[in-house]
Amino acid sequence: MTSPADASGGKRWCLDPEAASLFADRMVQVFIRGGVDGGVDDGPPEWLMVELQGEMVSRRNAGLAGNVMGDLLYTKEGVSVLIVGHHILYGKLVKLEKPFAVLTKHPGHSQDGGADDVAQVAMETDRHEPASTSYSVSALIKRKLIFKTRPKPIITNVPKKV
Amino acid sequence: MRTLEEVLATLEIAKLKEEDLNPTIQCLSFGENVSSADYCLMELDDTLCKHIEAGDSLVIRGDKDERAVLCSRDKTYDLKIADTSNLLLFVPGCKTPDQLTGGQDRPHVEHAQIWGFCNSHWELRKQRPKLKKLKKLLMENPYEGPLLGGQEEVTENRYTMQDLLERIQASEEEIKDHLEIIHACQIDGFWRVLDFDYEMKLLGHVTQLVDSESWSFNKVPLRTSLEELAPLEPREMIEHCLSCYGKRFTENDEVFYALNEDKVCRALALMLLQNAVKFNLKEFQEVWQQSVPEGMSTRLDQLKGVSLVDRTSNPETISLLQVEDLPEDTLERFNHLFTLREKWTEEDITPYIQDLCGEKQSTGALLTKYARSSMQNGAKVFNSRRPVVT
Repeated sequence: MTSPADASGGKRWCLDPEAASLFADRMVQVFIRGGVDGGVDDGPPEWLMVELQGEMVSRRNAGLAGNVMGDLLYTKEGVSVLIVGHHILYGKLVKLEKPFAVLTKHPGHSQDGGADDVAQVAMETDRHEPASTSYSVSALIKRKLIFKTRPKPIITNVPKKV
Repeated sequence: MRTLEEVLATLEIAKLKEEDLNPTIQCLSFGENVSSADYCLMELDDTLCKHIEAGDSLVIRGDKDERAVLCSRDKTYDLKIADTSNLLLFVPGCKTPDQLTGGQDRPHVEHAQIWGFCNSHWELRKQRPKLKKLKKLLMENPYEGPLLGGQEEVTENRYTMQDLLERIQASEEEIKDHLEIIHACQIDGFWRVLDFDYEMKLLGHVTQLVDSESWSFNKVPLRTSLEELAPLEPREMIEHCLSCYGKRFTENDEVFYALNEDKVCRALALMLLQNAVKFNLKEFQEVWQQSVPEGMSTRLDQLKGVSLVDRTSNPETISLLQVEDLPEDTLERFNHLFTLREKWTEEDITPYIQDLCGEKQSTGALLTKYARSSMQNGAKVFNSRRPVVT
């Protein structure tokens, strides 16, 4: 299933390509569980989001996993400071106009013996298809730290004035 | 991992003074399993946010020919992916300034892990559910009444609520509401819509009984109706008919139905209008009034969205035009209407575009967007924005 460019603002219509295969031959429902696994809490936890302009590329092109991204500090006046490599960025904490839900994908398995009480839809067809993919809400994001300024290089070796 | 000394050295070079800073320095690093594939971001409105906080589930519904929608228990949203040029990182353990008050005075490093990142999110837009498919599915096998001797049950194309939920892009509540509107009922666990002639037959039994018993149509006793009509039709069907065309109430432990004049008159008009393409308006109005139960009055405004009156022809005519038969897509609907008739008054066109209105959108706004207005004989009329073939 390809996603034709939508006339309004270049947004794509459908779900990601992997999800597209969900609809391959039978119409399905993909459930998004609201509650947290085994949680007694009221609702999912709240996470913080950090928004950066541009892409993040690892210096040695070794991928991002396990690597340090940067150091985050706050000034006493509440300005956020992010030091990434040799650059410094300034940002602020904003409340999101529209909160986000962070969804975790659970790919479908055929005999998933999970302790989940709800969630996976077992499609009973003649061909005994595996349970379909489902999602759960892992967290809500209501605030973000946004760094919009151009990263300023931190110049080293500035000769000290005598 | 960076040490405190390394961080402080960088701060000095960057000319950030220790005394101006909150002493907690959070070192952010990517978790071992970080990737963008496992997480999705979905934008929420207030209602959905509350749903999720309450632990309610949501469902994505769609099939390969249609785009996907997100449904809560009672609302439907369009689902789109919106890309952003920015990078969005999730840092569950990251603290904000308000969470860092008190504690240590000296600079120290804490660690927070980035669990995932995205550069796109799902955008939701509330939309009117596409329910035309519901009637279309149920009309594949309408219920025509109990089987006569020798007839066999058609078991294909029958749908349970579960089947409908897998095929209709709407929330369960919206589907249930619409089933009521189209007078569907459950037979043997399957949702069935009645064949029009059969529905009229049932209604005819009821209205004739009301007439012959000289009951007020505002107080039709259920028990007697079932007893009298049981030889003719299944009791469930009689009761279903009463529910569709009347309002149930109890008085002195007895159940009655108050028949709805507008609904009954409208049904009888439909029955008449189906028989020809156009009718002489005056003749139609006479026949129509005669066909309704004693005590009921017919009015043309009962037929809004169901028939169209042509006052420009001589003699004036009326023809069947049901909004439920028109295209569901807004642009297609307008094109179709302008193909049927070049110019419309606001009064005539409104019943045929009312259901297209989004939240807080008026028919006036739709007309402004999709039609062009002009004056004709002193009255404001609307026509298509682009040439249509009439």
